[in-house]
Amino acid sequence: MPEWIDANLVSILNGLAIGCLLFILAVGLSLVFGMMDVLNLAHGAVYLVGAYTAYALTDGAATWTRFVAAIAVALVLGGVCGLVLAAMTRPLARRGHLDQALLTLGVALVLGELVLLAFGEDVLSVGAPPGLDGSVDLLGRSYPVYRLAVIGVGLVLAIAVYVVVERTRIGALIRATVADRAMVESLGVDSRKVLLGVFAAGCALAALAGVLGGPIYGARPGLGESVLILALVVVVIGGMGSIKGALIGALVIGQIESLGRALLPDQASFLLFAAMALVLLVRPQGLFGARAGLV
Amino acid sequence: MIETALSRRQMLGVMGVAALSVTGCGSVGGDEESGDEGGSTALKVGLVIPQAGVYAPLGVDMKAGWDLYLAEHGGKLGGRSVKLVVADEGEAPDKGVPAVQRLVQRDDVDVLVGIVNSATALGAKDVVAGAKKLLIVSNAGADKLTAGDVPYVWRSSFTNGQIGFAVGEYLAKAPEGRDGAYAIAADYAAGNEASAGFKAGLEAGGGKLIDEAATPFGTTQDFQPFLSKVRSSGAGACYCFYAGAEAVAFVKQYQEFGLADRIPLFGSGFLTEGGVLEAQGKAATGVRTALHYSAELDNPANQAFVKAYRAKTGKPPTVYAMQTWDAAALLDQAVKGADALDGDALAKRLESLGEVADSPRGAWSFEDRSPKQTVYLREVTPKGSGFVNAIEEELGSFGPAPASA
Repeated sequence: MPEWIDANLVSILNGLAIGCLLFILAVGLSLVFGMMDVLNLAHGAVYLVGAYTAYALTDGAATWTRFVAAIAVALVLGGVCGLVLAAMTRPLARRGHLDQALLTLGVALVLGELVLLAFGEDVLSVGAPPGLDGSVDLLGRSYPVYRLAVIGVGLVLAIAVYVVVERTRIGALIRATVADRAMVESLGVDSRKVLLGVFAAGCALAALAGVLGGPIYGARPGLGESVLILALVVVVIGGMGSIKGALIGALVIGQIESLGRALLPDQASFLLFAAMALVLLVRPQGLFGARAGLV
Repeated sequence: MIETALSRRQMLGVMGVAALSVTGCGSVGGDEESGDEGGSTALKVGLVIPQAGVYAPLGVDMKAGWDLYLAEHGGKLGGRSVKLVVADEGEAPDKGVPAVQRLVQRDDVDVLVGIVNSATALGAKDVVAGAKKLLIVSNAGADKLTAGDVPYVWRSSFTNGQIGFAVGEYLAKAPEGRDGAYAIAADYAAGNEASAGFKAGLEAGGGKLIDEAATPFGTTQDFQPFLSKVRSSGAGACYCFYAGAEAVAFVKQYQEFGLADRIPLFGSGFLTEGGVLEAQGKAATGVRTALHYSAELDNPANQAFVKAYRAKTGKPPTVYAMQTWDAAALLDQAVKGADALDGDALAKRLESLGEVADSPRGAWSFEDRSPKQTVYLREVTPKGSGFVNAIEEELGSFGPAPASA
């Protein structure tokens, strides 16, 4: 067993890094879908906005100041995207998921093309900030420091989001709005503000994931679609509207994408969707999803 | 209520139109004339290049190579003014083949040039075979594209197997390959052909293949699981075939996970060609690739080509630009002295060309309508503020199907 862990340590760590990044990306999608019942297919495009923001602000010299500035700008841009998307999908609230999907897919296409117009079709890479751009030795194998940092940031964010939603007044308000919006409104709370806030925060996190993912995945056309699919799989596996589900789903997908591919390289392309199909068969509402009737 | 319903619909309509117009407009072929008013003597050329999607940067380079040749020759090919119709081949044959069909049927072009995607080129082969038009493929590397009985399909680029074979034969004898080599490639036609060519070359030279891997094409963001296998395989060198975004990710991760210092990386030259090398930056330092061209080649034709290309675009030329520049040069020769512009007459002219002496890649000739050419070993080296593919040595002259030769 220790030999097995030794041989696969890098894959396991890497799965953790991918999982943490996926959690930051998918938690917004999950909350918006589960709590507000809005299928936001523009979520990947918001990630793309974050990735290109990182490229634009750190191009040439990825200093700490620039990297932190990129994070700040991406959070604001992501938040604005979320507010706009919330406002756009609001009139469609009673029209079912297909209309929302059509609208947000259109937004995703437009955002993707705008980014293309601004940055061209080339594949761009984003540097990690100084100190994080090298590799460290782990039991004789080198591992990029930046990915270790992503694991740290991801876990801290996961705890923070969990505490906010489960242990604070605002979190209670969010959960109450999901459970019974009419009751919350009758207590004098404007539920629209809660929904706007959740949407904005979710999209800000997606844009943040874009910046954090920059030094790993770079910025390129089509990246938004790739990460959207991963995020959707995370939501399906973890269950909609559940922080715990998003975290477990993201970590599972991270390991499937990393350790799974290392152990079963010939089945690499099927593993992800095989896992999703398995979860759908055994627990259609996802590992931690609310009862199917609610969603 | 009615008002909101209307505005909702209007909003959807606007979004739809906007989405359609931004994604769809690339497909509309634009007419572009250069030179004098055509008349009966004009040559109508259909340039098929990717203008959207993952291959779009290649299309930009190909267009620049074409434009440069025309600008250098007064907008004429073989003494005829040129009427150019540019069509978007997109990413895949579902878009590329209809684009070729439109050029042949609606625009009634005399000849076709371009095509990046091998599957699109194979589809275009059927179209030009029926229409008896000349097609000069200026990138697609499918091994068997020009072999066979369609006399109208010619190629100014390379074959996937040709480049892979050259690396394999080199590694069989190089000290890095003494302990055997690992082959890893994207799992699609080009990657599989390059890998097969590499293995054939390695075996022909008496080298040993340790193991091989095919990574899912287009969906692999993270190569770490595969890199772990390469690392523990005990191979002395690693050959790979990647292009575009995958080339950037692969080379960066190969360095980040500490393989670059232990197992030297080799590849087909597309790995470090053009824009991807910029994105790879210093992670690509020391990567050695084989290709039939580098902007660093030291011959008079290339020096003139690089200088003119730089003056026009501000960048050094890529292999994609060079191949399309060469395609224009071939067409120039073929049209000159041809008694007609149909496929049979022009193909006959190309058959009689013999050696192409003044190409920036060095002299080459046709074998089965594809280039038999010198393949160079190049190493990524810092130069000025960036990186270049410095020429290390000539690996020899290879035909389009060296494995079967």
